[in-house]
Amino acid sequence: MTDRRLWTEIAAAVVLAALCAWGLPLALQLYALINATIYVSMAVLALSLALVWGFGGILCFGQAAFFGLGGYAYAVAALNFTGTSWAVPVALLVPAALAAILGYLMFFGRISDVYIGVITLTVTLILFNFANSTAGDEWHIGAAPLGGFNGIPSTPPLNMPGDPGTPLAPQQIFVVAVACLALCYVICKLVLHSKFGRVVVAVKENETRAELLGYDARLYKLGIFTLGGAMGGLAGLLFANCVFVSPTMFSLFYSGQIIIWVMVGGLGTLIGPIVGAIVLQILTTWAGTLRDINPSLILGVILMAAVLVIPRGILPTATTALARLRRHGAVR
Amino acid sequence: MTALLATDNLGMRFGGVRAVDGVSLAVAEGELRCLIGPNGAGKSTFFKCLTGQYKPTSGRILWRGRDVTGYDSFAVARLGVGIKTQIPSLFDGLDVMESVVLAVRRLHSEADSRRRALTALERLGIAALARREVGLLGHGQRQLVELAMVVAPEPDLIILDEPTAGMSAEETSRTAALIRELNRRHAIVVVEHDMQFIRAIARTVTVFHQGRVLIEDSVERVLADPRVRDVYLGKPVTRAERAAS
Amino acid sequence: MDLAFAVFLQVVTGVATLLIISLGLAVIFGMMRVINLAHGEFLMLGAYSAIVSARAGLNIWVAMLIVAPIVVGVIGAVVERLVIRRLYGRMLDTMLATWGLSLALIGAVTMIFGNSVSGFSAPLGSISIGGFRSSSYALFLIGAAVVLLVGTWAVLRLTPAGLIARATMQNPEMAAALGVSPGRVYAITFAAGAALSGLAGALIAPFSGVVPTMGTVYIARAFITVVTGGAAMLAGTLSASALLGSVSTLGTFFTTPVLGEVIMLGIAIVLLRLLPRGITGRFFRRSL
Repeated sequence: MTDRRLWTEIAAAVVLAALCAWGLPLALQLYALINATIYVSMAVLALSLALVWGFGGILCFGQAAFFGLGGYAYAVAALNFTGTSWAVPVALLVPAALAAILGYLMFFGRISDVYIGVITLTVTLILFNFANSTAGDEWHIGAAPLGGFNGIPSTPPLNMPGDPGTPLAPQQIFVVAVACLALCYVICKLVLHSKFGRVVVAVKENETRAELLGYDARLYKLGIFTLGGAMGGLAGLLFANCVFVSPTMFSLFYSGQIIIWVMVGGLGTLIGPIVGAIVLQILTTWAGTLRDINPSLILGVILMAAVLVIPRGILPTATTALARLRRHGAVR
Repeated sequence: MTALLATDNLGMRFGGVRAVDGVSLAVAEGELRCLIGPNGAGKSTFFKCLTGQYKPTSGRILWRGRDVTGYDSFAVARLGVGIKTQIPSLFDGLDVMESVVLAVRRLHSEADSRRRALTALERLGIAALARREVGLLGHGQRQLVELAMVVAPEPDLIILDEPTAGMSAEETSRTAALIRELNRRHAIVVVEHDMQFIRAIARTVTVFHQGRVLIEDSVERVLADPRVRDVYLGKPVTRAERAAS
Repeated sequence: MDLAFAVFLQVVTGVATLLIISLGLAVIFGMMRVINLAHGEFLMLGAYSAIVSARAGLNIWVAMLIVAPIVVGVIGAVVERLVIRRLYGRMLDTMLATWGLSLALIGAVTMIFGNSVSGFSAPLGSISIGGFRSSSYALFLIGAAVVLLVGTWAVLRLTPAGLIARATMQNPEMAAALGVSPGRVYAITFAAGAALSGLAGALIAPFSGVVPTMGTVYIARAFITVVTGGAAMLAGTLSASALLGSVSTLGTFFTTPVLGEVIMLGIAIVLLRLLPRGITGRFFRRSL
């Protein structure tokens, strides 16, 4: 990708984000705005998997582990320290640390793709079981009760930097969320454009050849996996600010949703999963309002259909179809 | 003088099978060596031991006298060894230019890498393919792209496993010329089958048979040696043996 | 002494349970290299079939041992026909599609039966060993595990159908050249694996809470067992269940259930690091 195209895309993303951040709070009711904040934080989560899976080639079925850890770490830190300034880095570092350790065990152990999926899924399930078992007063970290299956009550929202007494209003949290999404997108773009990112993609394409060129594939996979973990943690932080922290963040349902968003949106792209996450969540919320049909059922059917009918995802399929139409028109 | 690359009684066992059985050879700085032998003689297994794709079960590999046995592939590459595998191992989803740039990017800046990549492509006559997606290229072109990736980082030693497999006659002679030219600056070890190609490039030939070295000599003497013919064609039946059956 | 025996019995029960819940998955993965992420839901459907038919008046043994495997076997056959068959060779897509199936099944069952925990008490009552009471059902489970393992081995080793199945697994083109329809073999194998899972679900229902999401508890364990076991389907599952089941039960006994699971995962990861192809990648390589 040329430098010019890179900066054009980054600029476009920033402009779009600024427009949303300014315009949507004016246009939407509070309830809808909070929902929008949730969708945006999920988009960040989808982006993290898009990076790790679509470009890193790492089949991580447990991105929800980093999501949940980010949320829990944020809540615990925010409840123990005055102000949320420390909670933010903690929410990023704890999931990143888990990603680093898990990544080291998996990649340096040369464990194959399929088993990586199973292991990451299992870690998420273990965290889910653990979080659920922490009911009771003896389960707390400092001043923060872990709350078992109910989760952590009253997580303090982010406050103005340097001013612990002023928590951010929901509209401001929305702006923060959009800014985070834009920032993560830009970081992904820059990383993929850098030497590190290009080697990561090469490792995904052909690990043997990358190693024969002198690159230690294990390090590159570890790096991208850790970055993805931190991003998942950021999504968890945002989620903690607009919903609340509970074991459902680690649930199989969430793990499944993330994969569906990326697959349906388009594995191998960054925008696709973002769009996929937002659109599918609007769909899921709508499905949740249906009295008679269970949302799991709908989601499951969508995933099966997506795999059977459009395995490459909506965005790539649509882009290819559009290109084909354009060629047709040009020839005519 | 210390050899560039040497193996000392190298062995590779798979269960009960000794694919490589006590191979000792030495390649000098700037030498061009061909490894030949019939199918199953152990050449490709030996190759994979050198490239770090297999970890030898016995013996040693020495690089400029230093023990590098059991090194991972990336560590071997970093010693200054360029490796071209039998089946082209390429980045199908990337374009040709990007693939070759990545081959040198580890050691040079972006701008420098692009220049060197272009030079390598021109040397192999495939500069026109720079923007093409690797996965869409024909087999012979893929071989040339892989050669470009191997050559671009200016390695001290290049080892190639059947570089002309699937190539047309024209591409083969171009490759032979290229290898002779490369040999001016790099040592080269080639595992090959194509006798015309070997005659065109080789000086010293090592013949493998059943995991061991049968003969190691100049190309003319090896190709004239009756043992080599036996090993390739199977032992000939004499008139007396035929009459007896 | 009695305590030691009681603990030993618990460990063996743990191993037996792990074996039972993993066997169906091992058959499908081992024979077809298909990663069925809806395996937990096959267990769940087996449990529900047993409960529903028992509540409808059927003898509990019939409900558990006959109805459950048949119902889930049929469901498995349908799933294979509609979904799995179109995705052969695409391992990743199969995983995703079966994950979707898992979600859909959980959703469907929740819609029909609701979220509350159903259950039935373990039949067979309890027995005493020295000073400790133990559930006779535990002994029944151990027996069932042995029967299932030996039975599966017998079918695969001693019957013509088993031979055909093994041949198709090793070399489908050759089998086809000999007149066997690989598609049909795969369909039957998948259905058989599903039936085994359904039976397992019914067998564990008495001590596991029967909820739509019960499968999620077991799928991780089943997968770890199958993956750690390696290529040899039966020997692998047996050895992995023995190792991981003991570790997990002892871990749970001395610490907490969650820690027991963590220890089990830890051991599995270490084992995979040392033996990347699973236990039977190195030992018992040529066994079934």
